[in-house]
Amino acid sequence: MKIYQIAMREIARRKVRTLYTASSVALSVALLIAALMVGMAGQKDLLLTIARYGHSLTIFPATTNETSLQSFGIGSGHYIPEDAIPEIQEVYEKAIRLGWEKKGGLVINDGMPGGVSTLDPAIFTPRLYEETTVTGRKVVVAGIRAEDEYKARFWWEVDAGTLLSNPEEAMVGKVFANVTGAKPGDILTINAMAFKVSGVLRETDSPDDYIIFADLKKVQATFGKPNRVSLINVRAMCNYCPVGEAELALNTKVVGVRATSQREIAEAQHRIFKNVTNVILGLVMLSMIIACMAVFNMVMGSIHNRMREAGLLKVVGASRGQLIRLFIYESLIIGLVGGVIGYALGHALAVSVGPMLLNGAAIETRWYYLPIAIGAAMTASVLASLYPAYYVSRIRAAEAFRAL
Amino acid sequence: MVELRELCRTYQIGDQVIEAVRDVSLAVEGGEFVSIIGHSGSGKSTLLSMIGGLARPTSGTVLIEGEDIWSRDDAFRSDFRNARIGFIFQFASLIPTLNAIENVALPRTFGSRRRRAADEEEAIMLLEKVGLGERLFSYPNELSGGQQRRVAIARALINRPALLLADEPTGDLDEETEAEVMELLLSSCREFKAAFLMVTHNRAISEGASKVVRLKGGELQ
Repeated sequence: MKIYQIAMREIARRKVRTLYTASSVALSVALLIAALMVGMAGQKDLLLTIARYGHSLTIFPATTNETSLQSFGIGSGHYIPEDAIPEIQEVYEKAIRLGWEKKGGLVINDGMPGGVSTLDPAIFTPRLYEETTVTGRKVVVAGIRAEDEYKARFWWEVDAGTLLSNPEEAMVGKVFANVTGAKPGDILTINAMAFKVSGVLRETDSPDDYIIFADLKKVQATFGKPNRVSLINVRAMCNYCPVGEAELALNTKVVGVRATSQREIAEAQHRIFKNVTNVILGLVMLSMIIACMAVFNMVMGSIHNRMREAGLLKVVGASRGQLIRLFIYESLIIGLVGGVIGYALGHALAVSVGPMLLNGAAIETRWYYLPIAIGAAMTASVLASLYPAYYVSRIRAAEAFRAL
Repeated sequence: MVELRELCRTYQIGDQVIEAVRDVSLAVEGGEFVSIIGHSGSGKSTLLSMIGGLARPTSGTVLIEGEDIWSRDDAFRSDFRNARIGFIFQFASLIPTLNAIENVALPRTFGSRRRRAADEEEAIMLLEKVGLGERLFSYPNELSGGQQRRVAIARALINRPALLLADEPTGDLDEETEAEVMELLLSSCREFKAAFLMVTHNRAISEGASKVVRLKGGELQ
């Protein structure tokens, strides 16, 4: 007979106590698993949000002072030649590839939203901004490549009418529409050129709400700025893209432009990830402590009933180490049971509560959480049993003898 | 086989020092049956605990097979107890989750001289010897008091001990069963040539002893 077999017999004899103890571990592990599952779903949701609102890089004319109101390139008198865009694209893509190679060529977060292949080409959306007066109000007109813009700003929708698709049309931002009463079908005169309003852009909480959008070529012609753009927004189409490398390459290799990676977004992304991770870690620690305390209380509570048995084993020759092992084996079994139940409970909790917390974000089943659950439950159970096991193992032999 | 030299054990309760065992010296040979009698509180169980390596003497020496067991560490004593000493208690003290065979083989689980291959066979042989060949797979709650005591005796003998220590081994048994158990103990000790030290306050069961020593106030009379 082996020590673990004695432990298993003891567990089988005390089914109710075992289940009761295991259930306290299970509840803590359920909390851990639910936190992990909801946390991961939250991170994915976050990635989607970041992918939605963040450009990776903005390229300005070299002389623009980006810290001033001219940061949009409006009225700066400086432009980027539109025909320089292919060269800029080439330098950018090459720098990104080199950057990935430096990182070992790995695709980080493959399969995650935004974590697409590094080879996916970035989306370049050049804009020409011009300030003018329309219906008696000063307004910014943006010339855009509509199709590219829609790919980069896939969340764009219209409240009325349609998205911009015709060079003779213009699409107006929500605030502009509210202030001027512009609606689909209206004719706007921009710099003596007539544009029919195709639609009103749904509110984006960004400067886009104040702008009139029209076809890039048409705006260039309207303002007499052929082959000119004010800036180029670049969406890198991957998370953790080495845009810093691209920024450096563009600034050193392309004359007349200044690339600025949007570090704030990257930093915010890191901060948010870090905070989410810290919250998850905090919950993990808390759940582990709760599990430990529960198991400790239950084991200590039953310890006096076990002293007689421990005494007998000591008398027949069990060493302190062997007595400790006996109790550790029991706690491992309790941990195993608690881990499996905890995983199931945590999964159910995450699936039922997660979507409510995350505005309907999908909670995915991840089987690798099962060994995590079992491992956490066993660790908590063993940690909580160490002192009781040590306490029992130190039973004074004379006391053990008298107990028999 | 067993030699006790000026064995003492004192307790301190508050300011009061209690001498549970005082200057006990005794020698027991292999195969010899020594009965230690005395009233409750006379120090019998304390003396047995010290001989069995369970309670450390305040002073004095316990030599078993020439080994001064209290000069060695706890791990050694556990191992020595497992291999060379068999215990029989006032109550059967069996593990309720183990059947008769497993209870008898329990000492083989511990200690460094484990021989697991033959554990079960030897346990069965001993159980047959103590008359429980038909109850090999019975659990303690399925056995009578006398049967449980027989299982405990078989357990004490599984490692062929040099010394058998018994503390009131027939305390809760009827006369007939008491006689059977005593006969079994004595015959087993003769067969294994083990020294047999029994603590009791029952003079009647000490009759077969080769030596009867009386303990009073912790001292041998």
